[in-house]
Amino acid sequence: MLDLDHVDAFYGDSHILHGVSFTVRDGEVVCLLGRNGAGKTTTILTVMGYLHPRAGAVRYNGRDIGALSPYAVARLGFGFVPQERGIFPSLTVRENLTVFARGGRGDDWTLERIFVLFPGLKARERNLGFQLSGGEQQMLSIARALMLNPSLLLLDEPSEGLAPMIVQEIVQILHRLKGEGLAILLVEQNLRVALALADRHHVMNKGEICFTGNSAELESNDFVLRNYLSV
Amino acid sequence: MELLVAQLLNGLVYGVLLFLMAAGLSLIFGLMNVVSLAHGSFFMLGAFLGLAIVQVTGSFWIALVLAPLAVALLGIVMEVLFLRPLYARGHMDQVLLTFGFTFVFYDLVQTVWGRIVLRLPTPAILQGTVDIGAGVFSAYRLFLIGFGFAIAVLLWLLLERSRIGAMVRAGVDNAAMAAGLGGNIALLFTGIFGFGVALAGLGGVAAGPTLGLYPGMDTDILIPAFIVIVIGGMGSLRGAFVGSLLIGIADTFGKAYLQSIALFLIYLAMTVVLLIRPQGLFGIRYADAPPSAVARTMPPSTKATRAVGLIVLAVLIVLPFGLPDYPRALIAEIYIFAIFAMSLDLILGFSGLMSLGHAAFFGLGAYAVAVLGVQFGLDAWIGLAAGVALAAAGAALIGFFCVRTGGIPFLMLTLAFSQLVFSVALKWRDVTGGSDGMALAEQPSFFGFSLSHSLVMYFMTLMFFVAAYLGLRRLIDAPLGHVFVGIRENEPRMAAIGYPTLAYKLVAFTIAGAIAGLAGGLYVIYNGFISSDAVYWTASGDILIMTMLGGAGTLIGPPIGAAVFLLMKNVASSYSEHWLAIIGTAFICCVLFFPGGIWGSVQKLRGKAAP
Amino acid sequence: MNILDIEHLNCAFGNLIVTDDVSLSIAEGERHVIIGPNGAGKTSLINQIGGQLRSKSGRIVLEGRDVTGQAPSRISRLGVARTFQRNNLFHNLTVFENLRLALTAKFGNPLDFFSVAARDQVLAAHAAELMRKVHLDGQGARIARTLSYGEQRQLEIGIALAGKPKLLLLDEPTSGMSPAETARMIDLIGALPRSLSVLMIEHDMTVVFSVADRVTVLYYGKILATGTPADIQANARVREVYLGMAH
Repeated sequence: MLDLDHVDAFYGDSHILHGVSFTVRDGEVVCLLGRNGAGKTTTILTVMGYLHPRAGAVRYNGRDIGALSPYAVARLGFGFVPQERGIFPSLTVRENLTVFARGGRGDDWTLERIFVLFPGLKARERNLGFQLSGGEQQMLSIARALMLNPSLLLLDEPSEGLAPMIVQEIVQILHRLKGEGLAILLVEQNLRVALALADRHHVMNKGEICFTGNSAELESNDFVLRNYLSV
Repeated sequence: MELLVAQLLNGLVYGVLLFLMAAGLSLIFGLMNVVSLAHGSFFMLGAFLGLAIVQVTGSFWIALVLAPLAVALLGIVMEVLFLRPLYARGHMDQVLLTFGFTFVFYDLVQTVWGRIVLRLPTPAILQGTVDIGAGVFSAYRLFLIGFGFAIAVLLWLLLERSRIGAMVRAGVDNAAMAAGLGGNIALLFTGIFGFGVALAGLGGVAAGPTLGLYPGMDTDILIPAFIVIVIGGMGSLRGAFVGSLLIGIADTFGKAYLQSIALFLIYLAMTVVLLIRPQGLFGIRYADAPPSAVARTMPPSTKATRAVGLIVLAVLIVLPFGLPDYPRALIAEIYIFAIFAMSLDLILGFSGLMSLGHAAFFGLGAYAVAVLGVQFGLDAWIGLAAGVALAAAGAALIGFFCVRTGGIPFLMLTLAFSQLVFSVALKWRDVTGGSDGMALAEQPSFFGFSLSHSLVMYFMTLMFFVAAYLGLRRLIDAPLGHVFVGIRENEPRMAAIGYPTLAYKLVAFTIAGAIAGLAGGLYVIYNGFISSDAVYWTASGDILIMTMLGGAGTLIGPPIGAAVFLLMKNVASSYSEHWLAIIGTAFICCVLFFPGGIWGSVQKLRGKAAP
Repeated sequence: MNILDIEHLNCAFGNLIVTDDVSLSIAEGERHVIIGPNGAGKTSLINQIGGQLRSKSGRIVLEGRDVTGQAPSRISRLGVARTFQRNNLFHNLTVFENLRLALTAKFGNPLDFFSVAARDQVLAAHAAELMRKVHLDGQGARIARTLSYGEQRQLEIGIALAGKPKLLLLDEPTSGMSPAETARMIDLIGALPRSLSVLMIEHDMTVVFSVADRVTVLYYGKILATGTPADIQANARVREVYLGMAH
């Protein structure tokens, strides 16, 4: 469904992505791993249309979307959960969820269903975005992306900076979403989270993909673990 | 008691009109991070279009609906065609673009409707007076108050209770995130810009029967509206409302009971608010536009650049001998404005602070020469020295308040303070001559040579220009200049290294003010005449245009900009009455097509040509 | 005398408490490392010491002198230098210019109007020495923005060292670095003179145990434990908090 084909991307003059290629198929969870500065976030931003590839193509269901703006990409069915979570601080939790919500296919995500999956958010429905803790913000960001009824969820380091218990909770939620057949592109530094969720891993270093494989292959590749993931 | 109530109601009327302006300005700023100097023009256009509609249809009410819509359409066209390409560039270019439009709109109104004060007829149903218990009061004014409060409530409901309002607030919080969730931010921007402009147009029509219609009403409402959002807080509707009523009432009472010092009280209130809450009463702190990603290192002058400089100087020395009087005088004027522009560039280009009030210091220097000469019979050169000192002192005082802010708030504060200086120049007629101005009795001599000879004038101004250029070049190559650049590039880091950044910004502001004062003093010596027009905010805008046109952040750019601007103005004004529109249009084109100004574009081309 | 004493410090953003009654002392020459999950209030603590963030209550005492609430520039001139978690350089200026700005604050005369900053030989010599110290020899003419991530972190430290500080605050100096770059950073920190006290935030346990004299664990704004690296490793509560953390 999502297909990156030798993508080169730049920030101003600095060349960040060098020929990045990978694919996310229907219902699949794909993980991008790598250290800070490896190009993982840049890859997600390029998919979302915040950056446009200078060479290569980003395709969605066969259509080249490299030139689209973020809003057009989002409307194709992408649910974006950025690294800094992007909660609107002056909107209530409920408004955060509904402001850009869109209907999707048959079994749509609704506020009711969201509050079943995220009971903590129900309790804070009337609170403003800036009053939430880090964990609650991450939940809200994921929930908000689901309210767009996406076909593909893009998550940029959902475990970053959260207490272990909350990370566990988020992993469980993502597991359920995977079980419902939602395709997910996950950026992570936390290897445990990646191994728990992903069907396939791409390890990035200096803007290139330097390893591709499933969880078993990744766990047994000492060279990659040591040099690119500092485990 | 009756008078008090009447004043209170008058204050509310003015406050309501201010609110219609400030609400749009504030929304546009909050969402788009754009400060539109053309917002006053839309107020003016709304009023005049309203007049035209009343003249055709005979109905005030049709005008009240149609005129804002027509103005909104104009605003939407402006946003889509001109502002949109500039969003990636930061707020300076946007401010300048809207400033270019104020020229065009002013010229348009002046051409179509002339310069006399017109009035929109009060609608028949509201022509009488109403007894409100504590005296009688104009029905129309009472209607205005109710109308304004109704609009405020509707706006609040729209913003806080509707999904569109939630989208706007989401966009204000984080426009990039909103786009990533499928929010059509471009459409939202256009919509809000059009909506804000419509409110300004509505204000213009509503103000028509009470304030009158004239070219210049754009600025008369824009400046107080700026003060309102500085006090109320940028991007806050509640701030715009409370601020408008406060300023409206304070202004009305002040004018009634304190006359000429009323303005001081408003500025004093503004200053106090900003010292206690720099973000305004209801404002939230916002992130400024990111600095440019262009490498701008600080290489000192080399033998090659010095050689080129000497050649240019030789040409400038030889040049006047082949010219008649008029071009000599024009070039002398260019030298004076080049000094002025370079002084602005010290804070604008080298310290990263955009001032829209630099004419205040030019004015202080100019009035020192004129007042000391005319009232006290002092020699113009003593006046010039006093002028530089006065301008430096003024800059130190005003800068003390302004340098605490940055970005758009800095722009608004400098603008407000310069208008304060302007109001003194305008109102203190006994000393300054107000808008009629004052003339030096005789042209001073320069080392025994009479400045009435154009060649003497030429070399006198050239000498000061070269001295100012070399002095500033010295400053920029010295450690102090590098500290300014460091603050422009990363102020928090400079503080963490141990530089008290506020103090350094104040030093830059004071030096720039002193040099502007020098230019102002020279201008009076050159021109023999000064009036309050020289300190009006558009004079600050002109010098900003010259600096940006030539290229801010370089020392060569501002003189080039001054030359181009003054030549263009002289040529255009000798061939056409519409020179304001011509300059405005030329300037809009320049902002759109030559980012970085003329010298910046030249440098870019050279950079590309080099391997 | 301790170089730094923090006494009952409290700080909050709205109702989010980031520093909760924190007391901490750092002896002269000590290498003290703060660890804890993100959001534990580590950077907020550094920001309060550096003057970037105001505390709600409590005292920060530098060499016996109360500096609570002082401006960042003042604290810097009292001998506290810091780096930032995200590279916070003069990105559009060269490496040399970055260092020179930092050196001028301490050794030059920023108000000197008569010298050409770019040609100051004394500062140039200082800058060259700094570049050697942070392994950036010969890189003076490069624009900071074009340095690699690891080199930028090294320049961060170079800028901090320029003022010959007594106390160095390092906010995650190795975050995002490759093992080779991390090893270089450990060397660099190890080679700092013992006259300099260091307070650093770090996630990488290899770095923590090769650098630290003492370790403090912060958890939701509170100090969970302070002690030698061995004490901390043995502390059951700390192990519980870190369970499941990959780094």
